[in-house]
Amino acid sequence: MLVCAAFPAQRPAVSASQGNFSMSAIFPKWTNRLPVMVIIGAILIGTGLCAGAWYYLTPKYSRVGYQPIQPVAFSHATHAGQLGVDCRYCHNAVEKAWFSNIPASSTCMNCHNQVLKDDPRLALIRESAQSGQPVPWVQIHRVPDFVYFNHSVHVDRGISCVECHGPINKMDEVYHYQPLSMTFCLDCHRHPENKLRPLDKITDLNWKPESEEKQREFGQKAIAQWHVESLQNCSACHR
Amino acid sequence: MKTHSVPSFQQESGRAYWRSLDALAETPEFRLWVEREFPEGASEWTDPVSRRQFTKIMSASFLLAGLGLAGGGCRRPVEKLEPFGKMPENYIHGLPQFYATAMPTQTSAIPLVAKSNDGRPTKLEGNALHPDSNGGTDRYAQATILNLYDPDRATRFLNGGKNAPAEAALDFLAQLSRNAQSNGGQGLSFLADRTSSPSRLRLQKLIQTKLPQSKWYAYEPVDLDLHRRAASQAFGQSVRPYYAFDKADVIVSLDCDFLGSEEDSHNHIAKFSSRRGIEKPSDSLNRLYVIESLMTVTGFNADHRLRVAGSAVLQAAAALAAEIIKQGAPNGLENAGKPAGADPAWLSGCAQDLLENRGKSLVVAGHRQPLAVHLLAHAINAALGNVGSTVMLLPVEQVAEQGIVELAQELNAGRVDTLFILGGNPAYNAPADLDWAKTQRKAKTVARLGYYEDETSTGCDWHFPAAHFLESWGDARTADGTLVPIQPLIAPLFGGLTDIEILARIAGAAVADPYSIVRETFAGFVGGGDLEASWRKFLHDGFLQNSSSKPVQAQLNTGAVSQSLAAMKVEAPTKDKLEVAFHRDYSLDDGRYNNNGWLQELPDPATKLVWDNAVLVSRKTAAELGVKNSEVVEISVGGRSVRGPIWVQPGLADYTLGLAFGYGRKQTGRVGTGTGFNAYAIRTSQTFGFAPGATLRSTGETYPLSCTQDHWSMEGRPIIREANLEQFRKKPRFAKGMEIEDGEEQRSMYPNPFDQLKEKGLHQWGMSIDLNRCVGCSACMVACQSENNVPIVGKEQVKRGREMHWLRIDRYYSGRPLAPKGTEQARVNFLETFHREQEQQFEDWIENPQVVTQPMLCQHCEAAPCENVCPVNATSHDQEGLNVMTYNRCVGTRYCSNNCPYKVRRFNYFDYNKRPLKELYLGPFGHRKDDEWDLIKMIKNPDVSVRMRGVMEKCTYCIQRIEQAKIAQKTRAGASGDVVVPTDSFTTACAQACPAGAIVFGNLKDPESRVSKLKQLDRDYSVLELLYTRPRTTYLARIRNPNPKMPDHYYSEGPSTLQEYDQKHADPFREEGAAAERGAESAGKGAH
Repeated sequence: MLVCAAFPAQRPAVSASQGNFSMSAIFPKWTNRLPVMVIIGAILIGTGLCAGAWYYLTPKYSRVGYQPIQPVAFSHATHAGQLGVDCRYCHNAVEKAWFSNIPASSTCMNCHNQVLKDDPRLALIRESAQSGQPVPWVQIHRVPDFVYFNHSVHVDRGISCVECHGPINKMDEVYHYQPLSMTFCLDCHRHPENKLRPLDKITDLNWKPESEEKQREFGQKAIAQWHVESLQNCSACHR
Repeated sequence: MKTHSVPSFQQESGRAYWRSLDALAETPEFRLWVEREFPEGASEWTDPVSRRQFTKIMSASFLLAGLGLAGGGCRRPVEKLEPFGKMPENYIHGLPQFYATAMPTQTSAIPLVAKSNDGRPTKLEGNALHPDSNGGTDRYAQATILNLYDPDRATRFLNGGKNAPAEAALDFLAQLSRNAQSNGGQGLSFLADRTSSPSRLRLQKLIQTKLPQSKWYAYEPVDLDLHRRAASQAFGQSVRPYYAFDKADVIVSLDCDFLGSEEDSHNHIAKFSSRRGIEKPSDSLNRLYVIESLMTVTGFNADHRLRVAGSAVLQAAAALAAEIIKQGAPNGLENAGKPAGADPAWLSGCAQDLLENRGKSLVVAGHRQPLAVHLLAHAINAALGNVGSTVMLLPVEQVAEQGIVELAQELNAGRVDTLFILGGNPAYNAPADLDWAKTQRKAKTVARLGYYEDETSTGCDWHFPAAHFLESWGDARTADGTLVPIQPLIAPLFGGLTDIEILARIAGAAVADPYSIVRETFAGFVGGGDLEASWRKFLHDGFLQNSSSKPVQAQLNTGAVSQSLAAMKVEAPTKDKLEVAFHRDYSLDDGRYNNNGWLQELPDPATKLVWDNAVLVSRKTAAELGVKNSEVVEISVGGRSVRGPIWVQPGLADYTLGLAFGYGRKQTGRVGTGTGFNAYAIRTSQTFGFAPGATLRSTGETYPLSCTQDHWSMEGRPIIREANLEQFRKKPRFAKGMEIEDGEEQRSMYPNPFDQLKEKGLHQWGMSIDLNRCVGCSACMVACQSENNVPIVGKEQVKRGREMHWLRIDRYYSGRPLAPKGTEQARVNFLETFHREQEQQFEDWIENPQVVTQPMLCQHCEAAPCENVCPVNATSHDQEGLNVMTYNRCVGTRYCSNNCPYKVRRFNYFDYNKRPLKELYLGPFGHRKDDEWDLIKMIKNPDVSVRMRGVMEKCTYCIQRIEQAKIAQKTRAGASGDVVVPTDSFTTACAQACPAGAIVFGNLKDPESRVSKLKQLDRDYSVLELLYTRPRTTYLARIRNPNPKMPDHYYSEGPSTLQEYDQKHADPFREEGAAAERGAESAGKGAH
């Protein structure tokens, strides 16, 4: 009690004898603005982080445009575009299975045992068809393991390759065209009428509807006549 | 265009294995590495980079890494797509392929269709095309695929316990063959397990002609060949019995577990249950009498069950025979004596029922019983005119062979030079008096073909790894004699051989590859014609048409029956002279499935124990001996003893100890090590079925047992609803009347949240489970596990209630109320009867219980309580009525599981798939070894997510199958509206495996579907309907068919569960007018 009572009396004396030692010397004036600066800084950095994550951590950024180097310089533009080979000549399981197969080297050799027989760019393919060893193509389009996407039910029911894979027939080297995120899937599943097309136009990647109205008109007719479900239940994709 | 250098094939495709360490060791780098104490750079600082420079470089690297991250480095790891170099024909990646094959059993086979995903078999189903199959399977057939991928199976050739090259082992075989052919097989003996394979029979005969001095011995610890021997003796010619359970109105089982542990039980279940699926009150039911010592699956389904010691079954059979066989009765029936503890009126009532059903009845004897009981059963069947109607005698070709006891004598006499053991595991399961491990070594050379490196292989000079039946060619004959192919789905994973290949090599046959052998046998069956075409059809169909055996006529040889009776002496067991009854385990068989995790974790249908066997005793015996559950006791009989924990089993005969085979293995794999105790230790060649004169001593220790259903009774709740046939005929809708809170006024005031969504669905899925057909065999549980990638969790986790089975079978006992119905005493008794789990083992209502089994799985409630409480919408409803689970959304709050009234949701407390069972608590440090993981992942169904730690899971109605069926139909439909899946074109895994046809799944929106029709039946009810959850899975009430003339007439008042319900609530057979009165009464009691 005594000590406490004595303090107020002593304090002024100390500051008087050492005049230049004050609180302002330890914390200069600008520190008063520090909390505001910290808050503004945190908001700026937070916004930056959020914006960064928003942009960079989405499939739209991380997947679209992905164009790995493939072991063989196969050009879809030449084959599917210029020569007009149907998608299903090589990807022949697309109408039957969930997986659209990458053709076996023997499929390539169906033509290339006649055409460009000795081209060095095809050395790997020839070797593979001979030995049976696979060509290690780099996977571009991939959905997570808990998504059970099925190719056959889409291409057999009016959804074209181009909707997810883009204008493959114009790509020299294939790149990831659409984000293939859950939003991307749901956009179409909520409004299938914008994408449905006649079944004979599925692999015609250049096909365009006459107009937006015509597209919607056809789409709505198809939904009614074909009983297109375009499921939005969790169970449609996740099992 | 950008290109880059051509990658090398060997590095890019597949894994690089160190195929030759020797070659590697010769490189200078490797020599240097070996010679240095530490790798270069680890022990000296030779780098000119200074610390400052290092920091600089590292900072720059981090900066670059950061930029790389922002600039597109945040991408999933690169994955390669490796298509075929040469495309195989008819192969489409992503579409499974199906092949017909068969699982060989001791004296029969199970016809199967195997599913192959990208070249690896993943699921086995029954072959419904087979003339004697309805497409059902048993639990072993469902689980055997796990044995194929067992990392602990034999993977190498061994010579004297050391690795040997395959060439050396085959050289040994060639040498053996040359020696044998030079001396006619002198000193060469074979010890083989049993099989129905005609190819092996052919080779066995070839060996006997080419090597006449060689000897053939057969041994199986569970002797299912006894049925053939008994029939052959009874009828004086080489025949085996074939039972037509579907043609029998009255069936009497003499300790014969034909629905559980006998051969072809799945086939028997199919036929038995086909007479239980009563649909209209005018339909008839069969009636089953069971006389047995242990509580078996067959006992569960008995309309009348007599509990006697195993040795007294002979006396019961003699008593039945004495009443039934009036003319030409065998001698010695009267000398057998009366079975202790059995009511003579019961036996005469049973005999009377048999007499009233001449030609439509069936008496069967079990493999545990001595030959005399089998012969008596045949005598009774013959006297009743059943032979030719319900018992067929099928001719069977037999070659000279002896048993293991004779082989032991030969070995002891030193007359065996080379012993070749084909399959089996005699060092573990041979009779204890033969001291097999030592006896086996008395041969100069012992060679063995075995699936595991087990107790027997330790004492062998040569060990050959055996191929799984899914890896090898073979053949077999099913119970009706139809020839079935065993077709491989994958090349032998570890270069295993088959028995026919070994035999062909030893016999020096011209062709020794199994394919050619089997094809040659097949050619013998079809005779002429286009062999290639019929062979292809044979492989496609999975059986050879019209190849079943034609029944023969035969006269009973009464003399043989009398002779067998003369030798029998029965001594009733007492407290000091207990009787040990050995039984084939419902999970592990004779021990061959010891290292199969699915079967280890499959609860025993009766005890519900997992991962262990126990000493089963009745309540009275336990009380008199002063032992209780989990107490370790020592059983001594004939100077041998074994220790095991006690388990009080309701319905067991008094003074009987039930010991299951298959556990207590000394040398087994990672899964089976340390489970249970070895019952073979006290089984001798004299006491093969049961051993009298045993004593029991408590050791004072306890052993923890894991049981999946501690509480045994329903306590009067209408979870299972059952009635007797007369009651059902009087009031067919009784099951609806048993609802605790019925009447519209008590229904929920809120609309069903699902009603709106329902209209959008093309299909509405539902399931109906017929409790009258379900026998409790548990095939569905294993099928579900196989289809849905359900992991095993181990004994400790089961003890904590963390088992992952999506489908379980609840087994309830119900006892006869001791006081007359309606009295105050009855009510008091009732309330006092049911206590806590620990006390149930001491209560006397369990002495003679009735048993009911109920498959319990997600009920897919329309108003699902689980969905309301999920904070993240991980569980929700789809428009086709499925309660679906989105694993990647689940955060593991477990609220849904808490709110589920049926307790069918399962939570992954650990990464059960990724971590070995013993390392669950090690977190990320616990991981499977590569060899284990490489094999185990091959069994996974690629269409079902493998769930990780922290997510909830449950039955999905096999959504992968539903989606596949819908997608298949939609792709077929193309630009048409024909998108509804055809009626009953697919089903769930459990329904497909069920041999009884008890589980039916389908589209409720389709009035023609089987499930829609079943749901219209009067017997249809839902469990806990008072909660208004509106389950999509409903049950069909059970109808028993007791004989009103029997002394255990209390069954006529209704099954015990019904009487319990009556005590607690009210009589469901009351007059309709009394409903209001009852409503008031039950309000006072409160809902349970």
